[in-house]
Amino acid sequence: MKDTDGFTRPLEYLSPLDDYLRGIMRTWAEDYVMPHRREFDEDWKDHRLIEPAFARLQGELGLQRLLFPEDLGGMALGRSGYIGTFCMRGFEEIARADSAIAVAFGVLFWPLIMICNEPHVNRRLCEEFAPMFCETDRPVFAANAMTEPQGGADIENMEIVKGSTIQTTAVLEGDEWVINGHKLWPTNSGGVADLFGVVCTTKAGSTDLDDFAFIFVPANLPGVTQGGPYQKAGMAADKNGDIWFEDVRVPSWYRACGPGDDMKYFKEVITMGNLGSISFVCGAMMNVFEILREFASEKTFRGKPLKENDDVAGVLADFARDVEIIRIVGYQYARMIDRPDLYGDRWSEEMVAKGRAYKYFACDRAVEDLGRVIDLMGAYGCDRTNDVEKHWRDLKIVQLWMGGKQLCQMEVARFFYDCETL
Amino acid sequence: MILSDVFPVPVEWLDTVDTTMADTVAGWAEREVSSKRLEHGEDRDGLLAPATRSLFADIGLQSMMVPERLGGGGMDTPESVMTACAALEAVGTADTGIGFVAANTLALISSFTLEPGRDDTLLERLASFFTGGEPAVGALVLPSYSDSKGAGLERFNGLSYQVAAERDGEGFSLSGTNVRPQCCGASAALFAIAFDSGKGPAFGIVSRQAEGLKPGREFLKTGLAASDNAELSLDSIGLPAEDVVCAGPEKFLAVLNRYYLFCAAVTSGALLATYGILKEWGDTRVIKGKGQVFKENPLVASIMGEVGANIARTRMLTYELARMLSKPDVYGPPGAPAMHATSTAVFKGATGAAMRAMDATMELMGSAGYATEWNLERYWRDVKNLEAVVVPETAALVDMARHYFGLKTV
Repeated sequence: MKDTDGFTRPLEYLSPLDDYLRGIMRTWAEDYVMPHRREFDEDWKDHRLIEPAFARLQGELGLQRLLFPEDLGGMALGRSGYIGTFCMRGFEEIARADSAIAVAFGVLFWPLIMICNEPHVNRRLCEEFAPMFCETDRPVFAANAMTEPQGGADIENMEIVKGSTIQTTAVLEGDEWVINGHKLWPTNSGGVADLFGVVCTTKAGSTDLDDFAFIFVPANLPGVTQGGPYQKAGMAADKNGDIWFEDVRVPSWYRACGPGDDMKYFKEVITMGNLGSISFVCGAMMNVFEILREFASEKTFRGKPLKENDDVAGVLADFARDVEIIRIVGYQYARMIDRPDLYGDRWSEEMVAKGRAYKYFACDRAVEDLGRVIDLMGAYGCDRTNDVEKHWRDLKIVQLWMGGKQLCQMEVARFFYDCETL
Repeated sequence: MILSDVFPVPVEWLDTVDTTMADTVAGWAEREVSSKRLEHGEDRDGLLAPATRSLFADIGLQSMMVPERLGGGGMDTPESVMTACAALEAVGTADTGIGFVAANTLALISSFTLEPGRDDTLLERLASFFTGGEPAVGALVLPSYSDSKGAGLERFNGLSYQVAAERDGEGFSLSGTNVRPQCCGASAALFAIAFDSGKGPAFGIVSRQAEGLKPGREFLKTGLAASDNAELSLDSIGLPAEDVVCAGPEKFLAVLNRYYLFCAAVTSGALLATYGILKEWGDTRVIKGKGQVFKENPLVASIMGEVGANIARTRMLTYELARMLSKPDVYGPPGAPAMHATSTAVFKGATGAAMRAMDATMELMGSAGYATEWNLERYWRDVKNLEAVVVPETAALVDMARHYFGLKTV
């Protein structure tokens, strides 16, 4: 096989911009990421080497404008019939270079999904926030402030817990929301985000779906405090920290969709998060494939190239098999997202549950396969100049986020087996 | 012994020397590493180097196997393997990297102190490295993959020796480029370099001061921060006959088997540390939606049970292997093929179990498991690094098959 484009995708479903997107992302990666990524781990706090990659991708190439309507300076991906396959292609290319950059870039759109995507566009909020992203060539970040110190999986376990464990409150005083709470771990926190989409409750302890609220909070408002980033095992380009909201006041119309609809459309955020996760896994694994193919051709074992040994070939085959399957699954899910007329609304229980199934399948395979590749590479597997160990470290958090594997299992079991109490 | 009430050890095989050493090292672990970890992280100068010096030189781990008459601890008999195992497990609870460096050092020293009928010429010359009051690290240089340019290098069980050896009178001349030690290429005092002696595998003991030996730049790796590893270049280094140890497959494998045991012991220590982290998490977190203490959730409990089982099995097997290697009068020569298969199985079992347990623990802890502040991710990186470096998986599997199933051509 010539290169990673040989891994199968459903060619008839691809976005018309597929080749163009690949070209842009591949050139950006080769120029801004590949020459420096081995130094990204030490750059986790300052982002001195990482920042130019974001600046180019988001600002100069303007890709942070993707979701907004065209008349507001955006690229209208929010109303595109190819949003899924476009995202799958773009994010797998970015993650091939660095999955932390992929997630930081992807998450800037995460809260914007609530207001930019058809059929629930919030025009007023698009007009309010589009200038922030579309009238600048500096990189601008948004963050989805969801997890709290007492736990994140509970908050995401919406079918059963229904938001009752959310401790960040939003109280309506006149025509303002007053928000109080403490969030932890979101991508693009740690001082990065300019805008937060904050998961709140309008009544602490409530299981009424109307009380789940998604409210936008600009990061520079009085009462918003961001802590510094936490040092992590990997994912250096993604900063994660604490955010405190102390009597933060925003206009009442900063709520994304309204009572009931916030919870409903937030599940589309989860669906897109599942797709993003699969695309990051796919991209990173394709890069490992490239590295592994060269390694197994160059190194010898038993007097011949590593790959020509039957036992080694078995490990190589398992890896290629899983890349192939994960890519097909990812693009299938992307297709389902693109065709709600055939597969159902992106926020349906079915779409979320199936996305969880595909996501945790992809992550489990990736974690196991990358571990085996490192074992196969022996003394060279953990050498940072080979880049494989970087992907191993980075992909572990993809398995852990969004409630983790156990929440995925519960939602999958609930949907497929009609469970009622999980 | 740490956590022996939770994860039993076969106490009848441990004598006072073993348990005293383990407890001494446990005290070092808390005093010199764990209590300073939050402040220093993985800082080599601020934490790891001083802790290593304290362990190696002040407590005397590096000299334990040197005969008493030469100023060492006097544990120069096979029984010391059990003592080393208990000590290394305690080291591994604090820092896997320091444990790995210690495992290398003790394996190297064992190559010229524990062999029956040893020639004390080399021992008497080298003893001062380890009894002089300064930390002295030893590193093994083992067979590995070759690159295509290295085709033609002799092989041991499919892997290539990293150096070429030419006869030079009674001794040898060693040469090689991009030679990768197991650890500490940038700073080790002594290297035990595997080579083909013409009569099978052997180790050559080479000082870092040897003429023709040049360390390269330290390279960055996933974990094991205590090891400043670098590739070496060897340009016709003279190896006198008296500096050749463990010549022949059985003696060579005896060193490897002890090394595998020591690494398994370090891994067992890392697992005990993981247990502590997970226990605290499981006791203090709550699944609010169900009103449950985290560990009381059945799915969580089942995963925690698996973690516990992995720790229990690893500990038990590690001490079983230590017993076998410390009692050649009962179990046979430590370098016998059966012992090599068992040692490989225990080492691979230990590291595989550790990775499964740490992966599962990290899944249960979510982002906290991934963040440096909660300590788990360091053990996860360190053990993975150790697992990969010691022996490639495919080579290890076939090594075992060779004994278990009588392979002839692989």
